[in-house]
Amino acid sequence: MVREIEPPSVQKEFLLAALAESRRLDGRLPLEMRKVDYIFGEELGCVECRLGKTAVLAQVTATIAKPRDDRPYEGFLLINSEIGPMASSVYESGRASDDEVMITRLLEKSIRRTEAVDREALCIIAGEKVWHLRLTLHFLSDSGNLLDCAAMAGMAALRHFRKPEVEVIGDEVIIHSPDERAPVPLAIHHTPLCLTFAYYENLQPILDPIHLEATLCAGTLTLTLNAQREICVLSKAGGTPLAADEIMGVVRVGVERVREMVKHLEEELEKDKSTRVVEVR
Amino acid sequence: MSSSRLEILNDGGLRHDARRPYELRSTSFLLSTSSSSSTSSSSSTGLTPPDGSSTVTQGLTSVQVTVFGPREPRQRSLAAHDRATVAVEVGVVPWASSGSGAKRTRGDKRLQEIGAAIRQTFEPVIMTHLYPRSEIAINVQVLSADGGILPTSINATTLALIDAGISLLDYVTSISIGLHLLQPLLDLSQPEEMDLPTLVVASLPSSGKITLAQMETRLHVDRFEEMLTLGTDEEGRR
Amino acid sequence: MSSTLVLPGEAIPLPSSSKSIILGPGIAASSSRTRTSPSDDASSSSSTPAIIATRLGVLSSAKGKEKSEQFWVEGNSKRYIPAQKDMVLGTIIARHAEGYRVDLGSAQMASLEALAFEGATKRSKPNLKVGTLVYARVSLANRDMEPEVECFDPNTGKAEGFGELKGGLMITCSLQLCRQLLTPKFPLLPTLAASIPFEIAVGLNGRVWFKAGTVSETVTLKRIVEGVDNGDIGAEKGDVEQAIKDFLA
Repeated sequence: MVREIEPPSVQKEFLLAALAESRRLDGRLPLEMRKVDYIFGEELGCVECRLGKTAVLAQVTATIAKPRDDRPYEGFLLINSEIGPMASSVYESGRASDDEVMITRLLEKSIRRTEAVDREALCIIAGEKVWHLRLTLHFLSDSGNLLDCAAMAGMAALRHFRKPEVEVIGDEVIIHSPDERAPVPLAIHHTPLCLTFAYYENLQPILDPIHLEATLCAGTLTLTLNAQREICVLSKAGGTPLAADEIMGVVRVGVERVREMVKHLEEELEKDKSTRVVEVR
Repeated sequence: MSSSRLEILNDGGLRHDARRPYELRSTSFLLSTSSSSSTSSSSSTGLTPPDGSSTVTQGLTSVQVTVFGPREPRQRSLAAHDRATVAVEVGVVPWASSGSGAKRTRGDKRLQEIGAAIRQTFEPVIMTHLYPRSEIAINVQVLSADGGILPTSINATTLALIDAGISLLDYVTSISIGLHLLQPLLDLSQPEEMDLPTLVVASLPSSGKITLAQMETRLHVDRFEEMLTLGTDEEGRR
Repeated sequence: MSSTLVLPGEAIPLPSSSKSIILGPGIAASSSRTRTSPSDDASSSSSTPAIIATRLGVLSSAKGKEKSEQFWVEGNSKRYIPAQKDMVLGTIIARHAEGYRVDLGSAQMASLEALAFEGATKRSKPNLKVGTLVYARVSLANRDMEPEVECFDPNTGKAEGFGELKGGLMITCSLQLCRQLLTPKFPLLPTLAASIPFEIAVGLNGRVWFKAGTVSETVTLKRIVEGVDNGDIGAEKGDVEQAIKDFLA
């Protein structure tokens, strides 16, 4: 990994002085997220999520595959998230940096292991044919907090996606093109979203750190929550030690934030849906 | 979630290996366990022995850690001018886990994640500013795995760092906590880990603060609080 | 010829009147292409090399000494290429026996001699830590050598405002905005100064440092300069005054 040049020490001094007054460099409050924008693509299942200047494009595609022998009723969901040099010059293609491993693993845990998508509903013929979903995340630009943005883009894409309707007659599977029959949405159990907090020594935590804040912080904590008040993933890998009630404090903040974020996502999806004319002949 | 063929807690309140819910597995901590660190053999081989080592066994999980350093960084470009850098390498021996566990190689993302977690846990605890322009290398080798690789590795790393005589602000202890219905369980074994929501906590016993917390399964917020408090309490007792 | 937009590779029509022409950044003489004026016939066209633009931007010119004329392309690149006499902001990234290494955001690190400060002697040299931000001037920049910077004016031996910058905040912006900030006609800084008192150091390497009395004023300055840079806020007086009101609230 290319080592970044550390920012000059005045940056850190100023950042800490500002945080002591509960101010952030972009005028946000400590626990305020940047503005979230969803840009829906032409195709279903293609969503770009922008969090300030951070941008991630998510694309869902589906193919038909044979299920694993020990799980004949389950379809596949593959998450492909490789951070290339496009996002920022510190990332190299090839060798994965620690950050990248963290982001990939947390996305995997947040979306796949929490069963956000009902994989049994992807079954077409048990033991023979199942849907194989592929969620590809393209990291377009990194100005801090790639993970939260990627999780939002990924979940938005999965909820935006429609798979073609299939019909099973005997052993034969007919895949209807979207012109014949309206494609169907995926069965989604819940919408987990990530929230990343950054910590500083003896200061209150901040939500959604930008790149400079993340470089200078003493530790981060990522929470994945859903609107049902469930913690899906909690990851605080080292960094400044915290007391248990401090962790509970951010969890409580997170619960509220995630509820707002899911609501915003649902509104955006609804808005996009109303602009699409689904023709059924 | 619970498609378990295993009875987690039987009617008598005992777990599948006859432990009570809060009972830990038999644990052994050994220091200076690396064979090459004994003075007689090192002089004959001529290789630099590790500066510290330890083996921690918790039930059937066994982890050996060796620590080298502070030493000259292997990669010059990684040296920091005002503190030591911490490098962690995690390996699992191929025969570590019985059964169908997929073979793990060095590039495995899960191992890299464990390595990153150990590095980030110890970076604030090691007094890195005392050793500028140097590197502290931590090698973790999982000899047998039966659940709780991460907490065992953290415990072993603490001991190996102490053995190496590296200055620490505090020591770190770690434990895994599971939840079965409403009953929290401590120090999970592999079968329990597969079936239960698991939380790994690492904390500093003297301040009671938490440096690492990792959880991977859906759990209601209120239940989480219970587990977290229990975990920190339990570690304090060790 | 006040505002002609040129594309890379585009031939530049040069006036034949001026005596000598100085080619600035973004303009090069191409040997592979030759200039052919329509009136010339094929035999005489081999004489002069074509002058082409190498960057996208606005063609600018200024009258120099003795009837000479300078031409350059005013573009919006983001990567700084050191040029002599540029004032820059750099971060100290390493210390050596004889001086410091400074990051300017350019392809190479620059070196800063320990004696290149006001009043520095072999006995008493300034002691700067790694991570210090300095305001310096490029004293040497050619393509085969590491650039060198200095923190004083070698003619007078005085600091002239160069040296370590304490406190405040540094931001990065486009090279074009940095050049604009230094032109007296550009309205942004006078407008800001009318409502917020502050110190500022503009580096031509796309970095601006400033320090105001309070945190909120500094944050406001940062947001306005960045806003102007990416076009969210207009640079005119009215726009900036409105933004100050919004951000300070």
